[in-house]
Parts: sequence; C-alpha cells; structure tokens
Amino acid sequence: MAVATAGGGGYAARPSPSGLADVIDIILDKGLVIDAYVRVSLIGIEILTIDARIVIASVDTYLRFAEAVNRLDLQQADQSQGLPELMESITQGGAKSKSKGAIEGAKEKLGIGGDDDEDQEKSESRRRSSSQRSRSRKSDDE
Amino acid sequence: MTAVYVYGIAPAAEPTNVEAPGVGEEHGGVRRIVHRELAALVSDVDEGPLVAARGLRAHWRVLEEAVATATVLPVRFGTVMESDDAVVEQFLAPRHDRLVALLAELSGKVQLSVKAFYDEEQLLRGVLESSPAVAKMRERVMGRPKAATYYDRIQLGEAVAGEVERARERDSAMMLGRLEPLAVAARLEPPGTPDAAVNAAFLVQRSRVDEFSEAVGRLGDEVQDRMRIRYLGPLPPYSFTEEQEAVGAWA
Repeated sequence: MAVATAGGGGYAARPSPSGLADVIDIILDKGLVIDAYVRVSLIGIEILTIDARIVIASVDTYLRFAEAVNRLDLQQADQSQGLPELMESITQGGAKSKSKGAIEGAKEKLGIGGDDDEDQEKSESRRRSSSQRSRSRKSDDE
Repeated sequence: MTAVYVYGIAPAAEPTNVEAPGVGEEHGGVRRIVHRELAALVSDVDEGPLVAARGLRAHWRVLEEAVATATVLPVRFGTVMESDDAVVEQFLAPRHDRLVALLAELSGKVQLSVKAFYDEEQLLRGVLESSPAVAKMRERVMGRPKAATYYDRIQLGEAVAGEVERARERDSAMMLGRLEPLAVAARLEPPGTPDAAVNAAFLVQRSRVDEFSEAVGRLGDEVQDRMRIRYLGPLPPYSFTEEQEAVGAWA
C-alpha cells in the first residue's frame, strides 16, 4: 500500500502546525463558557471583531461580488482582478496583498501575522460589552 | 489586584508541561488548579484590559503546549475569574461530572481541521458559465452607469452569492462524505472569508490520524485545479466542546 508523503497537491499530506492566523476564528468564537465569569476587556479587539466577521450576506458584499463578476471580461487586459481584489476592498486598507482575505486584513492590523508582539496599543480601549460581566465583579463603572 | 485567567481544563491525571509564559507573563507563568479529577490551567493576570494580539497569541501557545500531553477542553478566550476559589466554586465543582465525562469522551482523539479555498476568479467564471440567469443580469448592468444600476447590481451580486453558496454546499457535502467515515465526529463551520469553500472540523482517533491524513492528501490532489486545501492540527477539540450539556450527542 502506498504511503502518502508530503506534497502531492502542493501541500503536505499531514496536518500542519497551525499558526495563530489559521485559528483566530475558533479562538474568538469557541471554547467553554463559564457561567459566572468576567470576559477580560481587550485593547484592539473591536477592530478584530468588526473586520474578521465579514457578513457574507450583505448589500456591500453583493455589490462587490457584482463588481468582481463585471470585471471578468477584462481578463486579457488585467488578469489580476476579481475576487482577490474584492476581498482587498472589503478589508479597506488593512491588507497589503491582493490575496489577503478579510481575516488576513484584520490580522495585519493587529500585527498577528508577524513575528513581533508589538500591538496596537493606541487603539481604542472601549470596554467590551458588559452583558456577561460577572455579578461578582465591581459593577460601578456603568 | 490580580485575577485568574483560565485557558482550559484537563484531567488531573494527565500531566501538562506548559512553558509558554501565558497571558500575564510578569506573574509567574501557567499553573494548575486541581479539584478532584479536574485541573484548570490558569495564570495570574493584572486586572484591566489585555492587548488583543498579544493576548491571543499567548493564549494559543499555552493551549498548543497543553494538548501535546493532555486532553484539554479549551475555555473561551478572555475568560478571567476573581480567584482560585472562584475557579473551583463557580466552575470546576458545579460542572465536575459533566466535564469529566466530556474529557473521557474526547480522550485519545484530536481535532483536525480541513479548510478549502476556491480560486476566486475561476469560481466566478464557473458561475457565469453555468448560470444563464447570472450571465443575463450581468449583461444588464455592463457598461451602464453605477448610479443607474444600483439595484440591478445588488441583484446580480446576490445571485452570484447564491451560486457560490451552492458550490460551497456541494463541495462541503463531497468532502464530508469522503472524510467523515474516518472520523469519530465531524462538524461544518461557517466559511469565514468570501473565498472559503469548506471549513470542516473532524474529531479523529489518534491511531487513525495517518489514515485520515492520507485521505485528505488524495482529496487535495483531486480538487487541486479548483480548490486549495489547508489541513490543520492537532487542535484542541474546539468544535466538539461547545455543547457540554449534550455529552455524547455527536458520537
């Protein structure tokens, strides 16, 4: 029996160790929720929650899909247009590369893709929604 | 004032050797709070906001190291409790039996994730070719001023989005059909980005990981002209810990 080795289709036929970039959606969305807990507030998380969750069924997305489809016949003139550009425009300046998706854009803004830990300390530091703030914590700030 | 940041829950009997500094690195790293059969992986943090990027990375590194040697139920990112006593009294003790049962179900299994992405231009070209309705709508807006075609363009985009969604459903069903038989459980996750085709999580016995990987490799070869696959893992069983009330429901 043949044993699969790395790379028949241009990727390794074994799971790759995941970078943060690959798993940011599950880290933010999943995991056990403790009934009486405090969700720590985060500097910079607002950017992430807005940009990382592009609503796929929205008028903006429809318009951009339409634009991408309309551009298709320009292929001889310019091969590079299409959905990659669509995604770039969705991230609105966050992405440097045309191939970056919405989450990539958010990650760049947060500096998650890089090797460096420097973050956007200057970002707004609004407290997160207090809907699940623990009853046991100080609640005098609202 | 410091508080206790919670990363995840492991069986007390399974060792975890986490060297990553954790979210509150200045307070001495990751430790365990043990209550009967459960160990919570925690570290001390200052009260106040975390910087998102640094906190996310620190959180993930701790879990990654922990799952190397133990079955770990990941706790939602950003969870902080008042004290060790609060971790025991408000979390470990009231849910002890359910968490122990869930850990037992997940023991010896890992989460592997398969994400597929379309070649976007090719996908849209395919949509145009296969859907006369979309092609017709496109003709209606081509070469006309944007202001005059606003609603036509929304309609066109919506139709395209619908076709993309149908392609996702077809491809997701195809991939699940191929890979699910090798897994204990499978879950489809939301696509996440506009070019995402399939986002599926599989719970796989450690002893079957190689077999599963071979199947992913063959599948990737077959679809490589249309899709690019990212195959990730082993991950903490994020996709299989949400409904801790319904232990075994996915078995």
